[in-house]
Order: sequence, then structure tokens, then C-alpha cells
Amino acid sequence: MDLAFSGWSGVLILLMYGAVMLAVGIVTYWNNRNVHQSMDEYYLGGRGLGVMVLFFTFFATQYSGNTVVGYPPAAYRMGFEYLVSVPYFIMIIVVYLMFAPRMYIVGKKYNLLTPVDWLEKRFKSKPVSILAAILMLYALGNYLLEQFVAIGQGVSGLTGGTIPYHVGVVFFIVIMLIYGWLGGMRSVAYTDMMQGIALLFGVFMLLIGSIIYFGGLPKAADYMQAYSPEKLGVPEGPGVVSWFSLLVLVGIGAAVYPHAVQRIFSAKSERTLKRSFTRMAWMPFLTAGVVFVVGIIGIAAFPDLNMAESEQLVGMMASAIAGQHVIFYWAMVLLFGGVIAAIVSTADSVLLTFSSIVSKDLYGRYINPEATEKKKILVGKLVGVAAVVVLVLIAWFPPGTLFQIFVLKFELLIQVAPAMILGLYWNRLHQKAVFVGMLAGTIIASYMTFADITPLGIFSGLWGLLANLLICIVGSLVMTVSVAEEEEAEKVIGL
Amino acid sequence: MSKPKKEPIKNGKLWIVMGILFVLINPWYFPAGSYQPLFWGIPYWAFIIIGASLLLSAFLSYILKYHWDLAEEEEEKKGAE
Repeated sequence: MDLAFSGWSGVLILLMYGAVMLAVGIVTYWNNRNVHQSMDEYYLGGRGLGVMVLFFTFFATQYSGNTVVGYPPAAYRMGFEYLVSVPYFIMIIVVYLMFAPRMYIVGKKYNLLTPVDWLEKRFKSKPVSILAAILMLYALGNYLLEQFVAIGQGVSGLTGGTIPYHVGVVFFIVIMLIYGWLGGMRSVAYTDMMQGIALLFGVFMLLIGSIIYFGGLPKAADYMQAYSPEKLGVPEGPGVVSWFSLLVLVGIGAAVYPHAVQRIFSAKSERTLKRSFTRMAWMPFLTAGVVFVVGIIGIAAFPDLNMAESEQLVGMMASAIAGQHVIFYWAMVLLFGGVIAAIVSTADSVLLTFSSIVSKDLYGRYINPEATEKKKILVGKLVGVAAVVVLVLIAWFPPGTLFQIFVLKFELLIQVAPAMILGLYWNRLHQKAVFVGMLAGTIIASYMTFADITPLGIFSGLWGLLANLLICIVGSLVMTVSVAEEEEAEKVIGL
Repeated sequence: MSKPKKEPIKNGKLWIVMGILFVLINPWYFPAGSYQPLFWGIPYWAFIIIGASLLLSAFLSYILKYHWDLAEEEEEKKGAE
């Protein structure tokens, strides 16, 4: 495929984005040079993030480069059934309302650093904490992997291979590692802000360009009416069930993302947290909604792409638009940078949380509790860097499409939800029931995913969650919690 | 005297409304396969889903503003000292 843009302008924009991120990292470090002495400072930005920064860093945990390069192809293949991607981002806020208010209070009260830290405080059970840590690290690893795969697939589409994307990937990962290493959460959150703005600008220009040059939604609808009316129609039964499954799965999964929970702990105050969530409640329309429309427009603009070709849709559309006018040429170059920036912003958040779980919950709790905070931070960082190296290597041989990987990580991650959320409100929740439930849910969800069984069309992760929840509840009712334990739990979760 | 604390999860009425909105953002109540009439190339049912989603976002904003208050007052007081 020939591309209208590539070469020096692409390189220039990559260098510019890279330089800004690096500068943000260095300035942040310069202003907070004591950041490596305390895990609170390094991993949570000293629990002092304000509304805008907190909002953009939440934004970066939920929307990434994958939203831009992976969602339009899905909309292209599924048609209006993929409109589900708008309400499922709203569902995340619904789920936050179930636990974030109390989680914030508990986090402040006990200086919690990670979600595993919370489980340890609540259940005081080594098996629960270790299993949850493993599940979270696995999900975070998968999530990082997804970001690197997204760079591979999206950027190769955007540059048509003219710029060796491996070089771009390595360049950005090195920058990410440097600013993350230097400034921790503050660097991550401040760069998230710049990256979020770049992403928003890019997708809007893509939308405007698509409407101008490919004829917008009415033209796409005419095309679908003639050739594929099923893409316009109300989903059939199985489509409705998978719609429902996605709302629940994504709502719970993305809300209990370890890096998302950690951001609750980073909030400066309850007020900043609430205001950030209010902004987040409206973002689905401006991001998922916009890229959905782009994908639908693609149906008429580039008809009859097969599965693999459709994954390159955004690249094709962007380069066609770029060839039309010099303004769009530069806008698409910025989008190209914005996609990478968004991927980097999601990846850095994930990596920081990955390191924090290693620092606090594995190394700091079980391997070397006597270590200084500085040493714990260092170990977390080094393990994080090692994980990145391994994942980049895996990412260069990407498995399947982006969507499948996306579902896989959620299915395991939501198994932590009952312990995390129910534990906040129910003081009789039994640690053994929690452990057995979490393990059973994980096994059921993994087995069903690999065997590709989805009874009634409901995703395997939800079946695992259902089993998990039942075991937690029934197990806790059957097993007795000692009066002392119950009082202790009451003390921990009481307001 | 401090105001009574407000925690969204403890307020049943909010969850009834949320439940109704959740039911409305699932496309189960339209005849499968139908898409007429179209407005600006968008099928009627997608309009309704988007409308219900907007309502859900608006309702969430309302809860966030008026029905979540656990620490704010104390934090404000501390901030003022």
C-alpha cells in the first residue's frame, strides 16, 4: 500500500513527541528529587493529584492507541452492533460508584499503595494476596503486550512500513522507561495529560477528514443498505447477549484494573476524585463514539476488506485523507504521533503499577521486608524493565487480532473483583471462600476461553465470575468467621 | 455538627434508576434486524441507545455531585486550617 505520508515528517513528529515526554519527565524529576525515597511519592505522586491530571491519567488507563487503531476495524466488521463500545465505557464509571468512594477512604486511612495491599489489609491471607498479585501481574503483562502489539499493527499501517516501526517502538519505550524511572507517578500522570490531548485532537481530525473525503454516515448507510443490511440492523439474539456480556465484563474489568484502582489512591481529595469521574462519564462519546463513526465510514470507503486487511483500516483512511490537503496531511501526522503517544501513556501507567506490585506486594512483603523503600522501588523498576524487554519480543510476533487478546485479560482480572468489592462492605466475607472462589473462577474462565466454550453466548469470564461470586458468598455463609476476625474486618472497612 | 455521610452504594433508589437505564442501553427491545427509519445514516435503534447512554452519563454526573460525600467536609476543614 502506498502512503501519502511517511519519511521525514513522520520522523520529525516522533522526535517532537519523544522530546516533550522526556522534558516533562526531567522537569518533574527536578521538582521532586526526593521521589525515590518513598513508595508513596514514587508510585502515587505523594497522593496529591489534582482534577485535570487525575482525569487525564484515568483517561489514559481506559483509552489507548488500541482504541484508535483497533476499534474502527471492529466497527467495520460488525457494523452498528459495535456501538456497544460507547456504553461499555460508561459502565466503568457505574462500577466505580460501587466501590471507589469507600476505597478512597480506606486507601487514605491505611496508606494503601496497591490493590493487593488492600486485599492483604482486609483478609490477611497469604494465599489470597499472592494469587491476586499473580492474576494482576498477568493481566497487566497482557495489557502491556497489547499496547506493544497495537504499536506493531497500527503504526505499520500508518507508515506503510516506510519508517521501520521497530525503531519507533524501541525509541518510545526507552523514553517511557527513562521518564517513568525518573519521576514515577508524577511523570506518568503529567505525560498522560499531553498524550491524552494529542489523542483527542488526532481522532477528531480523523473524523472530520473522514466525513469530508469519504462522505460521512449517510453514504455509509446507503452502502450498507445495498450490500450488508445486517450491519445496520438491531443485533440478533446472540449479538444482544454478547452486547450485555461486554457491558458487564468491560464495566467490571476496567474498573478493577490495578492501575485504575491505584489512581483512586493517588487522588488529592475526594472532591478531585469525584470531578475526575464526572469528566470520565462523558468521555465515551468523544472517544469511543468518534472512532466508531470512523469505522462505520470505512465500510463504504474501503469495501470488502478481509479480516487481516481490515485491521489496517485506520492507516488506509489516514493516508487517503492526508493525500487530500496539506492541513490534513499534518493532522494525520499528528494523529500518527498521537496514537503512539496514547499507547505510551497507557503502557507507562500499566508498567508503573506492575512495578509497584512487585515492590510492595512481592518483594517488600515476602522476599525482603526489611529493605529500605528506596531499594524496594529499585527492585520494582528493574523487574518492570525486564518484563518490558520480554513483552516487546513477544509483541513482534503478534498472536491473533487485538480484540481477542483484549477479552482474554479481562476474564482473569475480573476474578479479583468479588474479593476487592465485596470485601469493602461485608465483614463476614471469609478469606478461604475468597481464595477458593478466585481460584475456581480463574480456572473456569481460562479453561472455557481456551476450549472456546461460551454457553448461552455469555463470555467465559462472566461464568468464571459467577462461580467465583457464588463460592465467596455460600462459602462465607457456611464457614464461621470468629468474632475477633469479624470485629477486625468491621474496623478495617467501617467508615 | 457534620452532615450525614452519603455513599452511593447505600442508596437503593439510585440503583433502581441505574438498573432501568442499564436495561435501556441493551438493544433487546427492538425487532432483530430492523433499522428503518434512518436519521442522517444512523438507524433509529442506535439513536435510542445513544440517547439512553447520554441519560446514563447525566445520571452518573448527578450522583457524583449530590450523592457521594464521605470525606469532603473533613478534608475541606483540614485544608482551611
